[in-house]
Amino acid sequence: MRKTHTRMIVIGVLAGSLTLTGCAGTTVQYGDAGSAKPISTEFGSSDLQQIAESLVDSMTTFPPVVELTGKRRPVLTVDKVKNKTMQHIDTESITDSIRARLIKSGKFRFIDRTTDDQAIEEIKIQQESGLVDKATAVEFGKQSGAEFLLTANFSEIKQKAGGVTDVYYKFTMSLKNLKTGILEWSDEKEIRKIAKKSLFGG
Amino acid sequence: MRTRLALACVMVAVLGISCGCSTTGGLEATGTTAWNDEGARVLAKRVVYNSGSLKGDLEVVDLKSVLAGDLMRAQATLRSRDRDTLSFEYRFEWFDLNGIEIGAGSSSWKPLILIGNETKSIQASAPDPRAREFKLKLREPEQ
Repeated sequence: MRKTHTRMIVIGVLAGSLTLTGCAGTTVQYGDAGSAKPISTEFGSSDLQQIAESLVDSMTTFPPVVELTGKRRPVLTVDKVKNKTMQHIDTESITDSIRARLIKSGKFRFIDRTTDDQAIEEIKIQQESGLVDKATAVEFGKQSGAEFLLTANFSEIKQKAGGVTDVYYKFTMSLKNLKTGILEWSDEKEIRKIAKKSLFGG
Repeated sequence: MRTRLALACVMVAVLGISCGCSTTGGLEATGTTAWNDEGARVLAKRVVYNSGSLKGDLEVVDLKSVLAGDLMRAQATLRSRDRDTLSFEYRFEWFDLNGIEIGAGSSSWKPLILIGNETKSIQASAPDPRAREFKLKLREPEQ
C-alpha cells in the first residue's frame, strides 16, 4: 500500500515538472513600432518619436520658416546634440529622425558631413584613376554650403521621493542662420515620466 | 449538477479571457478638405466611436484645419465627460487627394492626459504638401 502511494507521488511530481517545463520558455512577437506604452522612466522609442514629430511640426509651420521655404528649399546641416542628461542616449538617432522628416516634407535640403570621407575617396577615384570620363567626373570644390545649422540641447531633471521617480526631459532645438548668426526658429519639447513603486502587484 | 459546473467553468474562462485582452476600439475623427460653391476651402467632418466606454468618457467638440503655406494643419478639440483624470493615446494619419496614406505607419501614438471635465486641443501638421485629409485615431492606453 505504501509502495503504491510513493509511486503515485513520484509520478505526480514527474508529471508536474514536465508540465512546468512545457510552459517555461521565451515568447517572441512583433510589437507596434509606434507604441506609446512606457516601460520605464528612461528615454524610450516613443519619447524619440514624440520629440521628432513635435519639433518638425513646429518648424515647418512657423510663419517666417513658411515664408523662407515658400519659393526655395534652403540647405541645412545638423550639429551634434549636446546631451546633458545622465543617460547614454544615441542622440544622433533623434536628429536622424528629425532630418528624415524635414527632407520628406520637401521644404529643406541637407548636407551630411558624416559621409565626407567616402565622398572624398569617390571623387579622388573619379579624378585620378583614369577610369571615369572627364565630362561626367565630379570635380572638387563644387558642393553647396549650408545656409542654416540645426542645433540641439537635451537635458533631464530627475527627482526621487519614496517609491516615486519623476523624470522631466527637455529637448531644445534651434535653427541658426550661418551668415548672420541669427536664430530664425527655436522650440522645445517637454516630456514627463513618472514611475511609482507599489508594494503589492505590478 | 455536472452541466451547471461545466457552464460555470466556461463562464469563468470567458471572463478570464476578456479581462486578459484589452479592447483596442477607439474613436476615429476624419477631416477631409473640400471646396464649396464659392470656391472656398471647407472641411468635411466625420466622427466614429468604436467603443461605447470611450463615447461616455470623451467628446470631440470640433475639428479644424488651416494651411501653413502649403502644409495642411489639423486641430481637434476634445472634452472629457469624466470627473476623474483620464489617459488616452492618439495619432494623426494623413491622406492625399486620392485617399492614399502619406508615409503609412510613420506616425506614432502620443499620450494625452485630460483632467476632470477638461477641454483640450491637440494639433498636428501634415508630413508634406500632398495631404488633403487627416484622420485622428484615439484609444485607451495599451495595457
